[in-house]
Amino acid sequence: MNQLILTVDKAGRLRLHGENGPVLVRPIACFPWSSPGEYLSLRDTDDWEVALIREAQSLDTASRAALEQALAQASFVFEVNQIDSVEDELELRVWKVQTDQGPRTFQTKLDHWPHAINGEAMVVRDLAGDLYRIKPHSLDPKSKELFWAFRE
Amino acid sequence: MLDPTSQLFDRYLDQPQTIPRDLRARLENACASESVQLYGLADLDSSLRLCQIWVALTANYFGIARTADRMIDEQIRVIERSRLTKVVEEPGLSCTVAHVLVSNEEHPFATIRYSHRQRQAVSHVLFAIQQQLEGEPAELIDNYRQSMVRPIKEAQASVNTSRLAIVWRLLGYLKPYRWQVTLGMTGASIMTLARLLPPLLTAHVIDDAIRPFQNGTLAASAAWQLALVLLAGLAATFVVQELAAWVRLRTMAVLGEHVARDLRTEMYDHLHRLSVSFFSSKQTGSIISRVGSDSDRIWDFIAFGVVELSLSFLLLIGLSIVLIALDFKLGLIMSLPLPLLLYLIYRNGKTMHGFFLRAWRKWSNLTDTLSDTVPGIRVVKAFDQAEHEKRRFEDRNESFTDECFRIHHVWTGFWPVLMLLVHLMTLLVWVFALPRLLSNGSADLTTGTFVAFLLYMGMYVYPIEIIGQMARLLNRALSSAHRIFDLLDTEPQLVETHRGIQLTPLQGLIDFRDVTFGYDRVRLTIKGISLRIEPGELIGLVGPSGSGKTTLINLLVRFYDPIGGEIRIDGVPLKELDIGSFRRQVGMVLQDPFLFHGTILENIRYGLQAASLSEVISAAQAANAHDFICRLPNGYDTVVGERGHTLSGGERQRVSIARAILHDPRILILDEATSSVDTETEHQIQEALNRLVAGRTVIAIAHRLSTLKRASRLLVVKDGRLAEQGTHLELLGLENGIYRKLHDMQLRLNEAHAV
Ligand SMILES: Nc1ncnc2c1ncn2[C@@H]1O[C@H](COP(=O)(O)OP(=O)(O)O)[C@@H](O)[C@H]1O
Ligand SMILES: [Mg+2]
Repeated sequence: MNQLILTVDKAGRLRLHGENGPVLVRPIACFPWSSPGEYLSLRDTDDWEVALIREAQSLDTASRAALEQALAQASFVFEVNQIDSVEDELELRVWKVQTDQGPRTFQTKLDHWPHAINGEAMVVRDLAGDLYRIKPHSLDPKSKELFWAFRE
Repeated sequence: MLDPTSQLFDRYLDQPQTIPRDLRARLENACASESVQLYGLADLDSSLRLCQIWVALTANYFGIARTADRMIDEQIRVIERSRLTKVVEEPGLSCTVAHVLVSNEEHPFATIRYSHRQRQAVSHVLFAIQQQLEGEPAELIDNYRQSMVRPIKEAQASVNTSRLAIVWRLLGYLKPYRWQVTLGMTGASIMTLARLLPPLLTAHVIDDAIRPFQNGTLAASAAWQLALVLLAGLAATFVVQELAAWVRLRTMAVLGEHVARDLRTEMYDHLHRLSVSFFSSKQTGSIISRVGSDSDRIWDFIAFGVVELSLSFLLLIGLSIVLIALDFKLGLIMSLPLPLLLYLIYRNGKTMHGFFLRAWRKWSNLTDTLSDTVPGIRVVKAFDQAEHEKRRFEDRNESFTDECFRIHHVWTGFWPVLMLLVHLMTLLVWVFALPRLLSNGSADLTTGTFVAFLLYMGMYVYPIEIIGQMARLLNRALSSAHRIFDLLDTEPQLVETHRGIQLTPLQGLIDFRDVTFGYDRVRLTIKGISLRIEPGELIGLVGPSGSGKTTLINLLVRFYDPIGGEIRIDGVPLKELDIGSFRRQVGMVLQDPFLFHGTILENIRYGLQAASLSEVISAAQAANAHDFICRLPNGYDTVVGERGHTLSGGERQRVSIARAILHDPRILILDEATSSVDTETEHQIQEALNRLVAGRTVIAIAHRLSTLKRASRLLVVKDGRLAEQGTHLELLGLENGIYRKLHDMQLRLNEAHAV
């Protein structure tokens, strides 16, 4: 297989440089939770696969950096680092949290539980569809206590 | 007074309700003073941190305004919309990246990033740009606030209701039963107060009869007389108490049923007022459980909850008063710790909440396994995964049971401790009472009073226990009530006129005028379709799947209203028609026909309950269904539908055609009525349909184009537009026509099969 060359422009768009000149692509992790670093599908603007990268390691350093930058956007989820409150209201559970991205309030349905991924972390999805990753072990004691009911 | 949307916004969303006013002013300034018509918030910056970047459209400009924050100053950039060339959206897990491009693709005008929460509003802006680029400017309806609260509203329709408000509303349902309520509450109060009497009477027996007799101050006969009178009083009290209990239980239990019935009827009636769109967005299960089990919990609440709870408090207060009246000091020992006990119960409830959450979660896990494997049992067996499933179930069962153990561990520990506190109070009373009882002479505490005291103390435990238990019942009843009101508060999305114009009989002239429609008001599914169907025409509707054929039908029968344009039937706008009278003259045969649980007879008669048996048989004969029905062991009385006799797809199809024939509609709609059956059955169905078609306006959607050869006209729908129309031959004549392509493809497919 030919070596794939990838570059990223100022806007953060990824380009695959092939025989027919550069094409705009965006990376999709085939297994965003179970194996986020492997099997990356590069899709063109019509959402067809143009290449499947088994592991990023097979790329040269510059391409790999470009890919990782583009991937950061595609696989972005909120990283919760502190839980300020979790309140059950009628039909809704209201979470107030601090994330690496800033403070955030979100709501889930009462029977939508965070689910475990990959052992370490748990993910919860809010009413609008946004995802929040929580690492129960690395929370401070108060957050830990608030999250206790949702842990394994 | 804030409107519901503002309330939800304030309460649940940490972002401004509108684009900040001065930012907007400066932005409009930059856009040649045009006003902002549409905007959204892009809430992530290039390093994926939360921020506020507003994207906005004016008539001729697209602008981006970033609110100043700690990191960065305010930034405003605008561009004429005519210079934009393309918009590309790249959705990710939680962040969508959108590029707004100008002619030089290397340098987009802007790249914006936003979470799913913002997506609908921002997409709406981008979509408007896209539409303009495609030469079809969309109507600009600002939906920023609405789209932000929609998910919350869908989860919780009655806005921001406090628990107290819910209780009030629920009690409102008691109004028609004022008399029973009064009776029940009176019974309950009498019962409670009667309970306070026996200890007093006992005290009298001891102090006024027994003790004086033992001291020799009272003659035996007099003592007996007094004792017997008091005993009779005691008996009377017991009788009154239990009589009152009977009245109360009976009245309230019956009352609870009344209220539950009223709620169920109201909900069911309301369900039929709601538009079809409601039923696709909420799961059937949740609707069913609201009408079913939720109303049942309300019974619990009315029949027992309300009364028990108020009586327990009444009893506690009554006890405290009586005790203090009996003996001030001892009474205080018993009453002062009461608030503490109640507080402990409250705290315990809070602690238990976490435990219950955990148990609930594990329980859902457990039942998920069941609801997966029971319907999917054939897959489990086919892949020989029984062992795997058993292990999975065992694990989850185990982990649920563990949580239950924890719960039992906690509550079983709590109650004895609480009771120990109560007993401690008893001991304290003894400690203070003994010196007074044992002091000779000035006995300020009589034996009788003290015995009464002891009896009263025994009554303390019950109301405390009840209050502890009722808290949970109350909570559950409240959330049930909330779900019920939530349903009742849902407004139908389209107003069905039941007093509108009646067209009887309908001619069947259908007229679509520039109709546009989108299910979610962002993406259009029908993009400006105009068509006219004359009475008696047989129209074939064809096009790739997902092109909007079924949607057109949904609009025609007014399951949804178009967002633009108009539909007329016989020249009258659909919106002005009496919907019931109209639908009675429209028949539908769908791809996956729905049969109700009931006999075949009932199913055929569904649209015309008064049809005679011979009419039913002729309809079934016309539908080619009579023969197979007669072959069933119970003939027309065979029970079908869920749990009943399972008919094959083709058989169900023919029953539903018989239903439509009996219904004798003026407009008949066949939505892929023959797609899922084999050729022989299709042939039979086709025959039946041919009989059905005569003399009415018919719209038939079919995948197999061969079935539409007899159509007087074919309409080809693609991407929500009417792409081609004409007869079979005319359409075949079109070079590069869509119909011709579809036709050739099917022809080749058939040949391939034939080989
Ligand atoms: N209830 C619905 N809510 C949202 N989108 C829908 C709904 N029904 C259909 N759609 C969408 O509308 C489009 C047209 O669907 P439909 O009219 O059923 O197509 P057809 O009948 O031509 O196959 C599809 O993209 C489909 O996903
Ligand atoms: Mg369809």
